[in-house]
Amino acid sequence: MLPSLFDKTTIPALQETLSFTEARHQVLAGNIANADTPDYQLRDLSVDTFQQRLKELLEGRAGRYEVESPGQLKNSEPGDDMRRVRESMKNIEFLDGSNVALEQQVTEVAKNQFLHNLSVAIMSSQFRLLQTAISERV
Amino acid sequence: MLRALDISTSGLVAQRIRLDAIAGNIANMNSLRNEKGEAKPYQERFVVFQPDEDLQSRDGAIGVKVSEVRTETVEPNYRYEPDNPLSVKEGRWKGYVAYPNIDMMSEFVDSLVATRAYEANLGVMEISKNLNEQSLRIIS
Repeated sequence: MLPSLFDKTTIPALQETLSFTEARHQVLAGNIANADTPDYQLRDLSVDTFQQRLKELLEGRAGRYEVESPGQLKNSEPGDDMRRVRESMKNIEFLDGSNVALEQQVTEVAKNQFLHNLSVAIMSSQFRLLQTAISERV
Repeated sequence: MLRALDISTSGLVAQRIRLDAIAGNIANMNSLRNEKGEAKPYQERFVVFQPDEDLQSRDGAIGVKVSEVRTETVEPNYRYEPDNPLSVKEGRWKGYVAYPNIDMMSEFVDSLVATRAYEANLGVMEISKNLNEQSLRIIS
């Protein structure tokens, strides 16, 4: 009963988004930690690719929000499209062969955090709606 | 809204590179040889900015990137030091040593300007983040 209750909402999609932002946060934290590592190349998870796949997954189920195993979208193999690093991030290469610009990484963390907060906010308002329906009072 | 963050970040990166160049100019104020070891005094370097088309919003707002790092070509400062092994051996400046012609005052002023510009970009980022958070409060 409970799964079908949640499937009527956007919670599974938000769940995917949250596990993606969490995974991306770890990758970006790794970039900042390696800011002074020689020859380190930036790593990232592409938000555009993730959102494209989420869209395909959701539309493939005839308009019903249904995700097979939670967090499946964040998993990606090396060489996967989702691991693409944005071109504009590659513009500066330092003499030690690394290409980490600290400011860009911190900005990406902030943007990722915003996406995370947005998903959490929508999710909690979904739960509030359910709560209202269950308790039959506003 | 998130594009504003990217644009401000490009400003941060550009100003930091400019600050690096200024630091290099002041550090090399007394460098009598160039990086190849030849007896040519250090020449001031300055960073040239240009708008970055990769960071353009649909409405025409545009980020900044470093176009090039140029090397100044000015007459060096000649000081009379005939005993110095690097002194000029013949010609008009015989016995003089060529020192880099770097004006410390303008370097310091430039570094102040770069620092203020960096801070200004940080300020804009803070405002953009606040805007984002305010928008979030609509639904929560």
